[in-house]
Amino acid sequence: MQSDRSDSRGLNTQRTQSLTGSGDTRGKHRIQAELKRLEQETRFLEEELEQLDKTEKASAACNETLRNVEAIPDPLLPITNGPLNPLWDRWFERPKESRGCRCWIL
Amino acid sequence: MSSSVSELKERHAAAIETVNSLRERLKQKRQQLLDVDVAGYSRSQGRAPVSFGPTDLVCCRTLQGHAGKVYSLDWTSERNRIVSASQDGRLIVWNALTSQKTHAIKLPCAWVMTCAFSPTGQSVACGGLDSVCSIFNLNSPTDKDGNLPVSRMLSGHKGYVSCCQYVPDEDTHLITSSGDQTCVLWDITTGLRTSVFGGEFQSGHTADVLSVSISGSNSRMFVSGSCDSTARLWDTRVASRAVRTFHGHEGDVNTVKFFPDGNRFGTGSDDGTCRLFDIRTGHQLQVYYQQHGENEIPHVTSIAFSISGRLLFAGYSNGDCYVWDTLLAKVGHHSGRIGSYHLPFPLQVVLNLGSLQNSHEGRITCLGLSADGSALCTGSWDTNLKELITVMKLKVCQYISVDAQFDSLQNNAGVIQSKLARFGLLEGTGGCSESLGSERLVNLLLNLRFWLTSFCCFLLP
Repeated sequence: MQSDRSDSRGLNTQRTQSLTGSGDTRGKHRIQAELKRLEQETRFLEEELEQLDKTEKASAACNETLRNVEAIPDPLLPITNGPLNPLWDRWFERPKESRGCRCWIL
Repeated sequence: MSSSVSELKERHAAAIETVNSLRERLKQKRQQLLDVDVAGYSRSQGRAPVSFGPTDLVCCRTLQGHAGKVYSLDWTSERNRIVSASQDGRLIVWNALTSQKTHAIKLPCAWVMTCAFSPTGQSVACGGLDSVCSIFNLNSPTDKDGNLPVSRMLSGHKGYVSCCQYVPDEDTHLITSSGDQTCVLWDITTGLRTSVFGGEFQSGHTADVLSVSISGSNSRMFVSGSCDSTARLWDTRVASRAVRTFHGHEGDVNTVKFFPDGNRFGTGSDDGTCRLFDIRTGHQLQVYYQQHGENEIPHVTSIAFSISGRLLFAGYSNGDCYVWDTLLAKVGHHSGRIGSYHLPFPLQVVLNLGSLQNSHEGRITCLGLSADGSALCTGSWDTNLKELITVMKLKVCQYISVDAQFDSLQNNAGVIQSKLARFGLLEGTGGCSESLGSERLVNLLLNLRFWLTSFCCFLLP
């Protein structure tokens, strides 16, 4: 997929480069808007850092993942918990019309 | 004025430094909290990887009819129907159980990238390079040309529509992602944007957004994946900023999918990895990566979870489709370009991607699980010309691929018609019971691609 890919390191460098050329009013407003966005980003990042102090370790989420996965019956697994649903096997029944539909032109 | 501009530039540079250093600190702090990944934890709890026997998952249907790459597919919530979107400029609605096509919708813009079934199954939506999301009501009467009319066009994006999904339990809202770096929540009844996530005046993705996935357990939450290498979690009530941004990938995030339990989501990227993220803590819980033994790392183009989340199906740009055991991060089964060749552009309702029979020979572009999780459907496109001809020799060809020169088509149309008749492809002589007039044949041929020229070479004396 063609697009501008900006990773977190490169993003801000790219934006600086695009802004350094202009010295007129339009450029000034653009830089101000960028600055505002960066200041907002700074606040979000500081919030996130604070939140991380109260965040539990990954093992808790791993435990929850394991428990949730094993609780749900899964028709695609060779071995799974019940209850089994007979409708899961409907794909293996012959279609009512024995030839099936082989039309191919739209 | 110039001094205040240069002052601003200095402040700007300083702000960038601050942001980068904060990001680095965040990264370090997160790393310290990653005491174990899902695979490590599962192993410590004595779990063994899922292993598939040769008959555990099988390909049981091939849905043929598209004449171009299948870009996207979606199942209904009532189990058996699928909508698919193809480069041939059509949506097809299938009954996957009977293999019947119930609708073939010619699109106003052929460059479609995504499609979705509404929760009630009464409508389908699609979007693409026209930057518009079009809604079709499947119960509408067709127009005089036999085409289903567009019932609503959702316009407003300033870039391509890469992905769309209806908000569960209602046919009235859907969410789109776009090349204009935003996601939008639409009210279909009015055709208006309810909310725009990201974009010029709000913080959001900084590059094209390629994928969205709405939580099955809390329809106010959705995740998006972008060319800015991040995934973002959004609350539809708060458009001004993402709830959380997930870093880790080193390339475009092509696909995102909520995990069945609603507290995690998976991603697939150009960096060749799939990852599992936890939405409440923001932790990256697992990376799924396997060395493919090639020079170039294949991109992950599409993913889907089985209904429990134990299996992660991942389609790659080199044609492989891996079935990952999400708990043990091992590849349970995979299919490469092995096994018998299959006709191009089919949809396959597969259960086994590792089967040596009837698996895709080409590149898998999209995946989707049925609502009850009992079947996986894959869409693909194939390009191997040689094998195409081989198959045509051995079997009655049930459809022709696309793209050939118009002139040679016209000249050869008559010859081809007689050849096809011999192969039982016309007038219900063997293949379809549907008859095919020469006018339709020429129309079909006009849509053919370059393979047809070789097909002609094969057929002509």
